[in-house]
Amino acid sequence: MRSHFRIPFFHLVFSLALWSALAAASVIGSTPQAQLGAVIFRDMCASCHGTDGQGVANKYDEPLAGSRSLSSLARFIERKMPEEKPEACIGDEARQVADYIYNEFYSFEARRKKGLIPRIELARLTLPQYRNAAADLLGLFTPLPTQGGERGPDDDKEVSNTKTESGLRAEYYQSKGMSKADQLQLQRIDRDIDFDFGEGSPSANITADQFTIIWDGALAAEDTGHYEFRVRTENGARLYLNSENTGGRRKLRDDSSVVGQAALIDAWVSSGEMREQTARVFLLGGRQYPLRLEFFKYKEKTASVRLEWKPPHGTWAVLNHHYVNTARVSRTFVVETPFPADDRSFGYERGSSVSRAWQGAVMNASIATAAEVVNRLPLLAGFEVGDPQRMEHVSEFVARFAAYAYRRPLTSAEDHLLREVLFADATNPEATVRRAILFVLQSPNFLYTDLAPEGESPSQHTIASRLSFALWDSIPDKQLLDAAISGALTTAEQIEAQARRMIADPRARAKIRGFFHEWLELDERDLAKDKSLFPEFDEAVIADLRYSLNLFLEQVVWSEESDYRQLLLADYLILNEHLRGLYESNPGGPKPAGSAPDVQPSIDFIPVVFPADGRAGVLTHPYLLSAFAYHNNTSPIHRGVFLTRNIVGRRLKPPPMAVAFKEDEFAPDSTMREKITQLTRDKACISCHSVINPLGFALENYDAVGRWRTRDKDKPVDTKSQYVTDEGSTLEIQSARDVANYAVTSESAHRAFVTQVFHHLVKQNPSAYGPDTVDHLRSQFEDGSFNIQNLVIRIAALAASHDHKTAPQPEPTP
Amino acid sequence: MKLTQHNRRQFLRDLGISTAAIPFVAGLPTLLRAAGAQTVPARKRLIILFSPNGTLPDEFWPDEFGPEKPLELKPMLKALDPFREQTLLIKGVDNKIRGDGDNHMRGMSCLLTATELNPGNIQGGSDTPAGWASGISIDQQVRNHLQSREETRTRFGSIEFGVAVPNRADPWTRMSYAGNNKPLAPIDDPGQMFEKLYGGAKDRGSVASVLDYVKDDLRRVSKNLSPEDRTLLEEHMQLVRQLEDDIAAAEKQNELVHPEPEIDPNIELTNDNTPAISRMQIDLMVNALANDMTRVATLQYMRSVGQARMRWLDVEEGHHSLSHEKDSNEDAYAKLKRINSWFAGELAYLAKRLAETPEPGGAGGTMLDNTQIVWLNELGKGNSHTLSSIPFALIGGGAGFKTNRALNLKGVPHNRLWLALARGMGNDELTTFGTDRYCIDGAIDLS
Repeated sequence: MRSHFRIPFFHLVFSLALWSALAAASVIGSTPQAQLGAVIFRDMCASCHGTDGQGVANKYDEPLAGSRSLSSLARFIERKMPEEKPEACIGDEARQVADYIYNEFYSFEARRKKGLIPRIELARLTLPQYRNAAADLLGLFTPLPTQGGERGPDDDKEVSNTKTESGLRAEYYQSKGMSKADQLQLQRIDRDIDFDFGEGSPSANITADQFTIIWDGALAAEDTGHYEFRVRTENGARLYLNSENTGGRRKLRDDSSVVGQAALIDAWVSSGEMREQTARVFLLGGRQYPLRLEFFKYKEKTASVRLEWKPPHGTWAVLNHHYVNTARVSRTFVVETPFPADDRSFGYERGSSVSRAWQGAVMNASIATAAEVVNRLPLLAGFEVGDPQRMEHVSEFVARFAAYAYRRPLTSAEDHLLREVLFADATNPEATVRRAILFVLQSPNFLYTDLAPEGESPSQHTIASRLSFALWDSIPDKQLLDAAISGALTTAEQIEAQARRMIADPRARAKIRGFFHEWLELDERDLAKDKSLFPEFDEAVIADLRYSLNLFLEQVVWSEESDYRQLLLADYLILNEHLRGLYESNPGGPKPAGSAPDVQPSIDFIPVVFPADGRAGVLTHPYLLSAFAYHNNTSPIHRGVFLTRNIVGRRLKPPPMAVAFKEDEFAPDSTMREKITQLTRDKACISCHSVINPLGFALENYDAVGRWRTRDKDKPVDTKSQYVTDEGSTLEIQSARDVANYAVTSESAHRAFVTQVFHHLVKQNPSAYGPDTVDHLRSQFEDGSFNIQNLVIRIAALAASHDHKTAPQPEPTP
Repeated sequence: MKLTQHNRRQFLRDLGISTAAIPFVAGLPTLLRAAGAQTVPARKRLIILFSPNGTLPDEFWPDEFGPEKPLELKPMLKALDPFREQTLLIKGVDNKIRGDGDNHMRGMSCLLTATELNPGNIQGGSDTPAGWASGISIDQQVRNHLQSREETRTRFGSIEFGVAVPNRADPWTRMSYAGNNKPLAPIDDPGQMFEKLYGGAKDRGSVASVLDYVKDDLRRVSKNLSPEDRTLLEEHMQLVRQLEDDIAAAEKQNELVHPEPEIDPNIELTNDNTPAISRMQIDLMVNALANDMTRVATLQYMRSVGQARMRWLDVEEGHHSLSHEKDSNEDAYAKLKRINSWFAGELAYLAKRLAETPEPGGAGGTMLDNTQIVWLNELGKGNSHTLSSIPFALIGGGAGFKTNRALNLKGVPHNRLWLALARGMGNDELTTFGTDRYCIDGAIDLS
């Protein structure tokens, strides 16, 4: 690449005429205008944007490409470029250089000509996709739990058939010596397991000296991660989590020799002292796991039992009935193998690269999965131990396993390999199954999301697979496969109808929850604050705020309107008693009468309505305000950058230089706004900070933990700024609500939201699906009252049915 | 599935520890020579083998006892005849521990700990309920002593094997204790034990065996892709080749030291497979000892009050129920004789495997010469539930006891036997073990 010197303006004007003649021969543009533009670009732009607009590291590293019209591009250049001296390129020159840029590499047509348009890239499974696919692969073979397997003949049928309720099914037994579950005396649903029976009995018809209680049900895990459990009792207890649901479970007897499942926590033997036993388990979010607690008292003086947990991002608490229910569910296989992190350089996880670490993880995960399959082979392959037909069952199982894993029918060669070749040198069926699973899970047919051949229309199975990965990060379920087999994924309506069915599945909820975590950057922030300044802001408050934010997001998304604008405009927070104490006591506190939506009350979190200027959706949720703040103060820059990029949808280049925020360099009585203004007034900074700062300053009414404030350093907080939008109009902004009102009406904000949802669902660049994909989705989004669920369905359907052959080609530029 | 003889041989072959291979398996002489080492002192090893529900004293104990009388074995123990000269039977050693728990519980959980059970919530068939044992067991005591010194330290220190132990933790199922309230669970799945001893070697072998098919798939899939996408699969292909090389290199490296087995025995843990599982566990134990992964091992058959139905001996009834029958019940008596003969046979197989394996490290002799096997039971007699005269059979030379004889000590607390064992295994400092008051007079003199 040629190096460029910065040429003083007067010099440039002088030399233009001379150079234009010399440059003409080598410049591709044909019009004289474009030739002039080429020279201007070379002299004024290329040092930051690269000779071909490809970008320059640490200057402006993204390619110069976009969706502005030519005239909009010219206006932008006139107003903003070159950055250090916008007045150097105005009028005709701005139009000439815009013309050159537009036709050389900026427009879609220009990029298409140069082979630069984004394409749908081959991608391997991301880590969440791998984990979900492995779980569902085994899940497709796991029988539904037997109903009432361990119940006695005297059980009330209605009880076992009633719909799922929150809490756990509880059975209270009178024990008799070694026979623990001797006489069933009481059945009910217990909400939280935190009982202190003292020296008494849990029920009138049970004696206090010896009794047994069994709690059974399902645990709903919302996030993927490590969950900790703790059983506290002076008596005997065993906790089972995600165990095989064997049905027909033995009555508890101390002298029984029946082989049972291994307990997660075994605190059965006790000497009467209070004990706490803890265990940790890795769970996949968006799924339910069988949970069972067996408890007994035998002649100890007192009895009590408490079951606590610590979910990811949470704190220790009694396992709340909000997270457990009476459903009977089967074991879910969870891959715990550590994987290297997926590429996030584009702001979303993509399976765009392979590495030794990844290959090693794939091997180890396939070994773990094969071990799980072999251990549960009779159950998964559907035969009894000692079945003479077992080899047939096993070979059938292997072939079906591969077809599910590849998301399509097997070719005859594949079928032959799995059923004949691998079984030919079989030493025993388990070893053969092990090898087959190891092979299938390392085959590219499993590991890559979309191997539809280049230049062919997608098959029904390809459409099904794309749909399930977009909505669930997983393989198709049986219904979706049936639809593929019967050709019922042909019309746009059929595909959308499937997507609509699938969005109701917990896996879709987990995926959309993941989107919000990405969009709001929830997983990258440290919220710990200076203890002396914010003593009440402890881990429990942080965990509650995170819970509050999740509740709010789910409330908006899964309401019927599912209105994106509510994410930004809502005037309520969902708070519990403790958070109300922290966040209500300010002038921006709640109105006495409000119109909070009908939120399902959960634990003690309820919607609390604030005055219109008090709160504006996620913009002012204390979790985010705290996340985008320093440990001891607000941070208008962090908040401003977040709002600019993620909410308002404007691009920012990386800062030209690293500037440390040093408290002692400012006058002691400076407000945060004054400090930031002083810090960013440098010319190199202000071109971006003129965009960032006004949005950040608008949130100065919220301190570092998101509480309302009106004063900073004993001066009134000043939130007012002039804000120049992307399209050049100037707004006066002075509150979070002003920012929210602007964003909900801004096309670039909508476009950014649509693009980010697309990235999260499809893990591809939307432009690869046609130049107008985002605009098209955006206008549909707007026409459909910004319904998020519909947006998700449309994106999934669009990506699923995409056909290279018939995809609309871009129209030539007029 | 019943494991056939053929399969068992296959398993052993893959394990790499068929009899002929043992000297190579041990492998260490080669290594030590390479390191320029001279002869090393023989290793001392301890194996404790447990079988449940009491014995038949009249069939177990010889007719004559005495320090100078050569041992004569009753027919029930005839499997031990080849090792008679290395065998010592000790009658009159009692488990005198009392306190909470029924005799089965105390028989089991006080057997190796020689101390009382904690009070607790587990109710036996009689007596007061109880909890875990309140102290360390002798195998763990020996283990800790060996692990405390550089020259006797091993990778595992001790390994707890099981055969058909139910998956539940209570005082009837645990005999080894790391300390007060710290029971240790035996591993009764040969596959799991295999995994513990050899890590992922067999998995790597299985992976290597399918990588050719993976490469075929990569090639096939590549054909349909655009050139840009093909580069990702080419990288993937490189990684698969790299993995093949890595696995091959790892196997080559391991060939000299530990021959890592290639296949999983995959045996189902069912009652009827018990004989096959027993032999697998013994083979794995001998291999682990030969490779000096550990010097202390326990092997627990079933559990106290175990109801194994030993159909391979034509016994349909549960073992514990049978053991309650009166001596006059001839059928039950005959069956119990078969059962205890079978345990003696498993013990003999273990002794045989050790006897045919030369002591690694150039110390001379066989592994049995340097291994102390202790066979024991939680009860002296099944139908009386007595804890007196526990059937102690000691085989091998690890502790340096004088063998080829039977002694009748007439009521010595078993604490003093464990003191003798600790001393025999090289711990001269230990003066008490378990409950102090049963340690008066110190270790029994068995030299």
